[in-house]
Amino acid sequence: MSTLDQPQVATSLEGFLERVRPRLKALFIHYRIPPQDTEDLLQQALLVLVYQSAEIRDPEAWLLGTVRNKCLLYWRARRRTLYDSVDTTVLEHVAGPIGPSQERTALRRDLASAMEHLPERCRSLLALRYRQGYEPPELAERLGYSQASISKITNRCLAALTRYMTLLGAGPKKVRDD
Amino acid sequence: MTEIHPTPEALERFVLGQLAAPEMREIARHLLTGCRQCHEATGSLWDSSDDADDLLDLALEAAGDEELPEPGYDEVLDRVFERMASAEAVVVEQRAAGCRLFDELMQIPAERRHLLVSNSQRFRHRMLCERLLEASYDVGFEDPAEAVDVAQLATLVADRLRPEECGGQECLYSLRARAWAHLGNAFRISLDLASAERAFARAEALLDEGGVALVDRGRVLDLLASLRKDQRRFAEALQLLDRVAALHKRLGQWSLLGRTFLQKANVCGEAGDGEGEIRLLRRALDLIDPQADPRVFLAARHNLINALHESGRSREAFALLFHTRPLYLKAGDRMNLLRLRWLEGAVALGLQRCEQAEAAFREVREGFIELGLDYDAALVSLDLAGAYAEQGRLTDVRRVAEETLAIFQARNTHQEAMAALLALCSAARLDQAGVELVREVAGFLKRARTNPDLPFVSTAGNPTVHG
Repeated sequence: MSTLDQPQVATSLEGFLERVRPRLKALFIHYRIPPQDTEDLLQQALLVLVYQSAEIRDPEAWLLGTVRNKCLLYWRARRRTLYDSVDTTVLEHVAGPIGPSQERTALRRDLASAMEHLPERCRSLLALRYRQGYEPPELAERLGYSQASISKITNRCLAALTRYMTLLGAGPKKVRDD
Repeated sequence: MTEIHPTPEALERFVLGQLAAPEMREIARHLLTGCRQCHEATGSLWDSSDDADDLLDLALEAAGDEELPEPGYDEVLDRVFERMASAEAVVVEQRAAGCRLFDELMQIPAERRHLLVSNSQRFRHRMLCERLLEASYDVGFEDPAEAVDVAQLATLVADRLRPEECGGQECLYSLRARAWAHLGNAFRISLDLASAERAFARAEALLDEGGVALVDRGRVLDLLASLRKDQRRFAEALQLLDRVAALHKRLGQWSLLGRTFLQKANVCGEAGDGEGEIRLLRRALDLIDPQADPRVFLAARHNLINALHESGRSREAFALLFHTRPLYLKAGDRMNLLRLRWLEGAVALGLQRCEQAEAAFREVREGFIELGLDYDAALVSLDLAGAYAEQGRLTDVRRVAEETLAIFQARNTHQEAMAALLALCSAARLDQAGVELVREVAGFLKRARTNPDLPFVSTAGNPTVHG
């Protein structure tokens, strides 16, 4: 018997979906997911629900929890693109032969100024990455992190730099070391 | 370049990561100069993606009461809901087709099944894979070798499926991860822990790649925790179960959270943390729905009674057993009734009612022998030996110990269990098999059941014997 047929939930998938519609909308609005991007996200969640209904005890709570998680993952993926762009930009300008040296000098100055506002461990990591050209395995070895965790830590530091660039501006406030 | 500000639309698309790489880099470079005007614009965009739980809960509560003004979502929801209505009908058909394929496959000799699944397009079917996983799990304890074979077929099917054949990439990765985890579990039950480890490594690699649904992630971690428990890596097992519990909480699956507490309690019990076990079992019983999950609820009650008895609280165990008896009778199957009787014997022994305990243990031992469950018969025999030892009936202890050893010698398995029983027999022949030694050997046999390589080292004053 499908869980969706159980008496405590709606008697049909259609009825169930109509019942959760306002809450799904509230979730998408809260997380500001662009409407065009909600389609795949919701469809994936609902397909799992339909295929695995027997293993899901409270479909409404499950669906809302799953969609909520997908919204967070959506932003995480978006942000990763953002961090990668920032990283590539800095690497290209600082280390690569692109652009006149005057611009490179200006970027180095701006970068140094931005990094002053970051937590100590991010300053060390990004300095090695952008000034010495260290790759993640070398960063792990030099800073004493495990190879498994270095990409996560690098990502956090890039997040801190990006947050600083896009959110805090050039003020005196420091980014939290989290 | 840096003096020209990006448009608000470009900044928004930058924060969303939606621009082409050169534009992304150009804006990143501009922002790095510390442009206040653009920071103000991007700052407000960044806030939108943060997780503010309190605000979200309020929004969800209010969602039913008011019309939300945001345009665009209703059209999307209409489209997806319509597609799901069709998908549901398709899934019902696919499920029936999967069952038919399963029946067909099971009629073929085992050695040809793999060949057929590898070569025939017809057997590349998502619901066949689901059915195989179900069957592997169900048959697990009755026929571990068959469970392995069926789970191997499931991995074969899952690895051959394409995303479009099972509802997309996420569904495929989830199915594959679950299939490999079930295979690992089947190997675990077969006591082939090295193969189990390899299968779970495949499942974990799929989790690490991402794109596995939370419900399946929970299932994989849950099964992996059972392996860690059997390997006696208790801290890791508990950590894994904490992750599973967090997933169930996030998805509002309270009954499944109760099941996870039940598993955590089992780990605590195995690790010798009796109080932790009792605390977790009480939490589990608060969450498991006895109507929806009567067997799981009964298992939790059974374990709680046993844990109370083992921690010396036999009166409390007796009272709870009295209230739980109707649940055993309602479950009605022979195994549950034998477990009830075994527990009654144990609690009676804890209350020093040795004759009642002896009668119960004898009855249960006969039952297990009839069912061909030799290991369980051996375990209850040692409880019977314990009852004799309590009464100083050392001749009976010796007889039971030798009968039990004979069972293991006939099967020629579990060398370390035989070593433990030999130690008991040797002591019994010298009239030195006291209650402590009987308990020690019984405890060892329980632990060695899922870990046959566990070495027996006696601490009850008897020499170590190796078989």
